[in-house]
Amino acid sequence: MDRGWWWKFGMIVAVTLGTLWFLVPTYYSLVVLDRNERNNIAVLEQRLPAWAPPAKYRLNLGLDLQGGIHMVMRVDTKTALQKRTERRGQQIATYVNDKKLGEVTADTDPERLQLTLTAKDPATMDAIQKEVLATFTDFSLESRNGGTLVLKPDEGQVNRFRDEAVDQAMLVIRRRIDKWGVAEVDVRKLGTDSIQISLPGRSNPEQAKELVGTTAQLEFRMVDDTNPQVFAQMYQQNPPPAESKITLVEDEGFPQLSSPNREALLAYAKDKTPEGRDVVTECVANPVKKNDCIAYRSYLLDKNVPLTGESLSGADASVSQMNEPEVNIAFDPAGAREFEKLTEAAVGRRMAIVLDDNVHTAPRINEKIGGGRARITMGRAGARSFEEWLGEAQTLALVLKAGALPAPVTVGEIRQVGATLGDELIKKGSLAALVGLALVVVFMAIYYRKSGLIADVALLLNGLLILAGLAFFNATLTLPGIAGFVLTLGIAVDANVLINERIREELSHGKSARAAVDQGYDRAFWTIFDAHVTTLIAGFILFFTGTGPVRGFATTLIVGLLASLFTSIVVTRVITTYFVHGRNAQSVSV
Amino acid sequence: MQILKHKTNIDFISKRKPALFISTLINLAIIVGIAAVGFNFGVDFAGGTVVELKYNTPTTAEQVREKAQAGGLHDVSVQGVGAAEENSFLLRMGGVTQLTEENAERAKTAIQGLGETRNVYADMANGIVNFRSTQPMSPEAVKKAVEGAGIGVQEVRDLGANQGGTGYDYQVVASGMADKVFAALGAGLDKPNFEQRRVDYVGPQVGKQLRNRGIMALLYSMVAILIYVAFRFDFKFGPGALLAMVHDVIMVAGYYLVSRREFNLTSIAALLTIVGYSVNDTIVIYDRIREDMVKYKGKALPEIINIAVNDTLGRTILTSGVTALSLIGLLIFGVGEIFDFAMAMLVGILVGTYSSVYIASPLVIWLDERAHAREGHSGAKQEPKTA
Repeated sequence: MDRGWWWKFGMIVAVTLGTLWFLVPTYYSLVVLDRNERNNIAVLEQRLPAWAPPAKYRLNLGLDLQGGIHMVMRVDTKTALQKRTERRGQQIATYVNDKKLGEVTADTDPERLQLTLTAKDPATMDAIQKEVLATFTDFSLESRNGGTLVLKPDEGQVNRFRDEAVDQAMLVIRRRIDKWGVAEVDVRKLGTDSIQISLPGRSNPEQAKELVGTTAQLEFRMVDDTNPQVFAQMYQQNPPPAESKITLVEDEGFPQLSSPNREALLAYAKDKTPEGRDVVTECVANPVKKNDCIAYRSYLLDKNVPLTGESLSGADASVSQMNEPEVNIAFDPAGAREFEKLTEAAVGRRMAIVLDDNVHTAPRINEKIGGGRARITMGRAGARSFEEWLGEAQTLALVLKAGALPAPVTVGEIRQVGATLGDELIKKGSLAALVGLALVVVFMAIYYRKSGLIADVALLLNGLLILAGLAFFNATLTLPGIAGFVLTLGIAVDANVLINERIREELSHGKSARAAVDQGYDRAFWTIFDAHVTTLIAGFILFFTGTGPVRGFATTLIVGLLASLFTSIVVTRVITTYFVHGRNAQSVSV
Repeated sequence: MQILKHKTNIDFISKRKPALFISTLINLAIIVGIAAVGFNFGVDFAGGTVVELKYNTPTTAEQVREKAQAGGLHDVSVQGVGAAEENSFLLRMGGVTQLTEENAERAKTAIQGLGETRNVYADMANGIVNFRSTQPMSPEAVKKAVEGAGIGVQEVRDLGANQGGTGYDYQVVASGMADKVFAALGAGLDKPNFEQRRVDYVGPQVGKQLRNRGIMALLYSMVAILIYVAFRFDFKFGPGALLAMVHDVIMVAGYYLVSRREFNLTSIAALLTIVGYSVNDTIVIYDRIREDMVKYKGKALPEIINIAVNDTLGRTILTSGVTALSLIGLLIFGVGEIFDFAMAMLVGILVGTYSSVYIASPLVIWLDERAHAREGHSGAKQEPKTA
């Protein structure tokens, strides 16, 4: 055996061992762990032996196989855009009237999102047109007909607004689901206006729809600072049970209760809350994974809600002259009056901004704020980088807008699979795959004898490689994925058939065993390569254009084809070469 | 062991014309059938609601249907799943929400009865009725009024005062159909005697989007494969591979058309897999044709193709057989979509094998003849005809 062969052989052994090693977390999560702990990555991490790969490299089961809810929510950006256009129209009309350019009324065409300005006196329209187009650059002129001006919102602005609306909705949905306490939720953007949500193990689609689909509730509520020690006293007089993991922490001089378990924290505080007050929690975000809460902290808020998001007319993040990130908020006229009254009475107190029962931030009111405009300064950068603070400000602005500008979300798609059905499907699916595999393995061994057995070894390695590959990409195995698995095994077999038929052909032409094997492999190589690449093309296009189950199928197909290229061309050849060259055989068993 | 004991010498090419004729006929029939009758679209593409229930007690589809109709569900189709003793049923409804044309009218009347309202319009796709009222309203009152008209309400959204100060905007969101199903089937029972195994809602817009994306995926992959084949082989091989692909896809689509099995996202996956398989098979034979063209320089193309097809016949049959073998498990144990997938694949493997021999290869001859004919017209010398 020459050096090159030993290198290849070593590589195959390494790949096989690596494959088995990579499947350890998958084996633990699907076989060793209890079914209800299957998705709990922390438990998996604990149970895994020290030498195993990290728990995140494991094969997930799709919702169709383990039960759960898959939802696609469509953000109704159209309604949001209508509202925005309407609001801008009103601003333009006010602007024109304030500037004494004339008197106009604004109308919105809800279908085409156009703004029509009608002047009382058509003669003033020239001046109005010029001024409006120069000032409100997010609109361009669509048509002009005497005293009416039709304006069209700028495409780029509309797209940005649409993106923002989807981001807001995602943020809100994420927070709400966190509140529900579902582990392993997956919330991601789908296309331009949809959000995809996976809730493993959940079974009530109506409840999920309600949770996710209602509009965000934004409130401005006063923090009760009359007794700053309230939580400290609560903690000392009534020590919380150990399993609730409640601890006392201090934030800017205020003692707070903190726990990674929101329900436990609220349950503990519930009957100890003073009359007329509410305990509301704040999420302490995971510094690495922004959307995760690592702990919840308690705030004592006044029960009454003086102001809600409905009074807001806008919010933006910016950087102040002191180079500090800040959030500027604006109220509508009624809200502005209410806000002035509120801040006048509460100078020095903190005001909590609460979104969906989560305290987002609680800035201190430094002075009475009139005029309907307020500024929330984010403070100096301190230990955190400026970018982090700015990011925080932008998130807050989004939160405020989410309450101010409702972009309603509606259900695009809900798929729910019960846990028992999921179990049944995985049983039947894997049985189907195993039966298919067994039939092929037996057939190959009978038909090609020793070469068939070599192909079988390659086939089994191929199967393991697919699973390990899926685990590596953290992919999800779905029902169509199992079908893809079976199909790829079929294609892998085809490659071996091609090679073996070629070898037989060469042998029938009277070639020696060695020459037949070498030529068989060389000739079949490009055929196999072309056949795999063309199927791979289909797989990739499927992956990039498909969604959900189709995508799962495509992932399996792609990983499977790559594995098949390796096993059929490299693995079988190395083994066959050993038997033919190494043993110096005069015949080859095909 | 060997399937073909002796070297075959079948003259495939001479039968290409009747084969092409029959294939074209069947293909056209399927296309006409799709245009005239259409697929049995699943919820993925048609939109709507599917609920799968498993009863704890022996129940027939007829009983479920009666119960559903008694509960006011008229356009429901009930179908048993699996064996009769499993007591599992699939209920299919057109709508995603309880807002139908007729319901929307009733909702409008109910809303208008509450006070002075304007711009009452229903967004059927999202199951929402929008309206603007001159006076602020209590969402509870709106909800009660609409529910009084017999439409389940999930939520009434208070969108606040309109900026122009001309009124207050509200949205009434209708509940999903699944709610109605559970209400109808659980009516008169303390506890429902069934377990809800699966619920799928797909909104009509999403359905349309999914369908378009599926079709686009199919077209993109065909074009990409055509480019690859034209690049790797010769231009004259490309159209044959493409036509064989189209032929196979239409044939498998024909399976879904004739069997009336549900056409959904998994069916698109099946069609795409067939595209991959078909071209896989075609490439193997093309490879051999190309190789033999070098080997037998003097021979005419049809003869070369016959030799190539005959030489690879053993592997063609074997490969199709083994791939079909790997599907047997799916055919026996697969349920629902998976069974359909395996069935479609089986059809695809059979027609794919046939089309590589009878469609893809003859087209190479035809294109070759045309290329020669053109050369003959433009060039001075007339090449001998290859056919």
